[in-house]
Amino acid sequence: MDLFSPHLLAESGINFSTLPSQLVNGLLLGSIYALIALGYTMVYGVLRLINFAHGEVFMLGAYTSLFVAWKQGFGQGVSPDQMPQGSWGLLIGMMIISMLVCAIIGVIIEFVAYRPMRNQSRIAALITAIGISLLLQYGGQLFLPAEPPPSISEKVLPDSIQGSYTMNLKKAPPQLVADLDAAKTKLQEIKDRLVERTTAMGISEFGLPDDDPDRVAKLETQDLVNRLNPQVEEQSIAIIVPKGQLVMFGTVVMLMGILWWLVMFTKTGRAMRAAAHDFESASLMGINVNRVVVITFIIGSALAGAGAMMNAVFIRTPLTPFYGFMPGVKAFVAAVLGGIGNIPGAVLGGLVMGIAESLIVWVGYSEYKDAIAFVILIVVLMFRPGGLLGSSKVEKV
Amino acid sequence: MASVTADSPVKPGAFWGTRLLSIVLALAFCFGIGAMEGSIPPFAFRILVLAGLYVTLSVSLNLINGITGQFSIGHAAFYQVGAYVTGFLTINYFDGQPLTAIPWLVIMMIAGAAGAGIVGLMVGLPSLRLRGDYLAIVTLGFGEIISIVTRNQKALGGSYGMQIEPKIQAPWLVWLLAIICIAVCRNLIKTAHGLPFLAVREDEVASSAMGVNTTKTKVTAFVIGSAFAGAAGALYGHFESFITPDMFKMEVSFIILTMVVIGGTGSITGSTLAALFLFGLPEWLRTLKGADGNALQIPAPQVIAALFGVVVFVACARWVRDRYHEKGMKLAGAYGSAVGIAVVASLLFRPLAALIPSMAETSWEINSLRMVIFAVTLVVVMLLRPEGVLGHHEFSWAWLRSLFNKKNKEVQA
Repeated sequence: MDLFSPHLLAESGINFSTLPSQLVNGLLLGSIYALIALGYTMVYGVLRLINFAHGEVFMLGAYTSLFVAWKQGFGQGVSPDQMPQGSWGLLIGMMIISMLVCAIIGVIIEFVAYRPMRNQSRIAALITAIGISLLLQYGGQLFLPAEPPPSISEKVLPDSIQGSYTMNLKKAPPQLVADLDAAKTKLQEIKDRLVERTTAMGISEFGLPDDDPDRVAKLETQDLVNRLNPQVEEQSIAIIVPKGQLVMFGTVVMLMGILWWLVMFTKTGRAMRAAAHDFESASLMGINVNRVVVITFIIGSALAGAGAMMNAVFIRTPLTPFYGFMPGVKAFVAAVLGGIGNIPGAVLGGLVMGIAESLIVWVGYSEYKDAIAFVILIVVLMFRPGGLLGSSKVEKV
Repeated sequence: MASVTADSPVKPGAFWGTRLLSIVLALAFCFGIGAMEGSIPPFAFRILVLAGLYVTLSVSLNLINGITGQFSIGHAAFYQVGAYVTGFLTINYFDGQPLTAIPWLVIMMIAGAAGAGIVGLMVGLPSLRLRGDYLAIVTLGFGEIISIVTRNQKALGGSYGMQIEPKIQAPWLVWLLAIICIAVCRNLIKTAHGLPFLAVREDEVASSAMGVNTTKTKVTAFVIGSAFAGAAGALYGHFESFITPDMFKMEVSFIILTMVVIGGTGSITGSTLAALFLFGLPEWLRTLKGADGNALQIPAPQVIAALFGVVVFVACARWVRDRYHEKGMKLAGAYGSAVGIAVVASLLFRPLAALIPSMAETSWEINSLRMVIFAVTLVVVMLLRPEGVLGHHEFSWAWLRSLFNKKNKEVQA
């Protein structure tokens, strides 16, 4: 859309009846961002390092679940009819394998690239992280299938969660709906009659003269349907959500609950919180900080792996080696928005990011949906650098 | 390598002599480049010109990243702003104004610099409140915003790009800009005006306590750095005469960043040499031909083995450096043995890599390995020498002279 266009609002087609649906979509998308943002925020909390390669871990997790699906007979060349029945077991298996692979990759990255840089300046560590991220992206371009971008077949879902769930918030006036239904029935009747007549005569519909009564009637009814349809849509409000995405949301909430328990109520969690509070002092108090860092990477990467699997299966964006970059950056923005290092903040930030993105799409600027993340980031950093739930600290000498 | 120090007084005459000599050499070099047009193959000439642009970009990013210690990773955005602003101006206003091509190009260069400088100011302002990694993300985001906005502007050609008419090529101007950029940065850090920049790099809090206006310093660095990138963009746009948003992708930002980091954050000489080397390397790789006359294909097991060799090299080099350096072992020897071990490891690993299913018969065109090579170099340099290859060292005439003097002394002895 052209920024200088004078009829911007009029063209953008703002339609309030789709708003609730978009908000729910944003919430679901945001839950994935929140899951990735947790990885950023935990690593930042402990090491004060932006784990730039986190988005690439996410990408590798998505590819892992793709390979698992291919291995189970949902391959690219297989026609949908020959694919086996999807099952819950397969989904859970994909998720666990993806989480495992991501955790291993995260630990390897920490061990190979971040641990040697721990005594160096933060900028040097950040450059290393960027280097690892580039290496995984462009190395992935060599090794991973990307042309054409593969995506996981819908068939992996079990029957019970295929299709979508519709919730009617407000129905259109009954008169209007009745009119529309009547028009549709009439249209179908006319079409049937036309087909009957033309097959009898052995010609196509266009073989009939233009002023044939059935053809005229067909055009008129079609017109009526086209006129009534948007009216009904505008006056009824419904939320349509794919069932799979509801499952996804439930899983995200469950994973967050587990994380909450892990961080707040276990000994390891307490060690993590101590290390995040003060790395040096924690190591002096007998906490094995190296172990804490490894566990942080395991948890963060596993969450990214789970998010990647769900993003690939339920949202079904095609996979490329650069697949993790944008979600990674957006999740980072979400972490900053919530207050980096703050776990509830990351969740809140992720949900806000998802909703902001779908609102932008709803207003009609879908081209700018990747830019909104950065606009939010700049605004937050200028006015509340500590994030929504964080506190901004002044550097002391 | 050492720069001019206080205890090696330079005679005033020698000072002006070297200064004049530098200027004359620089001008001669620029016009030499200009004169080479036609006498060498066109593709080689094109590479020569583009190398000049990358020198400008890398040195100007070094002013922000290395000299002022801020961390910007969206330099391609300023390059893009320069190219698009001046492209737009040329398309709409070149006809019907009295200037000929070259003076117009000079004016466009200034316009590009001004446009990118203003954008740099806009990015620099949030940097008042940010430091380090946050700033990095903001600059990355800003680059992305600029890219997305240009992609969606019909007036700027959208994602199809923009045809700049007329095409104005001035190779000597490209190199003159590079040399001006080097000179500005060099003079800045050698004079009192540049001290605040260095102070901000070393310790922002301390320098602000000593009375340095850190905000002004950081924003100035941003504006100067982005203005040079904008000027380079103007020249690039008119040289290619066709620009698309894809020519200024994030990849370009990362390439420039790699040049600065590898050359040595803070070393102008380093970023110049790194720009020439890293720009030249892929171009040289592209010219390599396989036995069949097509582009050289590298078998996948070899690439994997090479990566393994790099990992072994880094591990060995770090191990040796940490343990044996103090015991009087020469660092060169340590690195040499690390290279040796790495090569052996890589050769031994090669048949193993070929065992990986589906890898044995895969091979890649050498050009597609470019970004992988860059990324690996970036990580290796960071792990072994985080200050970059040249660190904070600079080339200077005094250093050259001391080199000759040393030789003379050796001859006398």
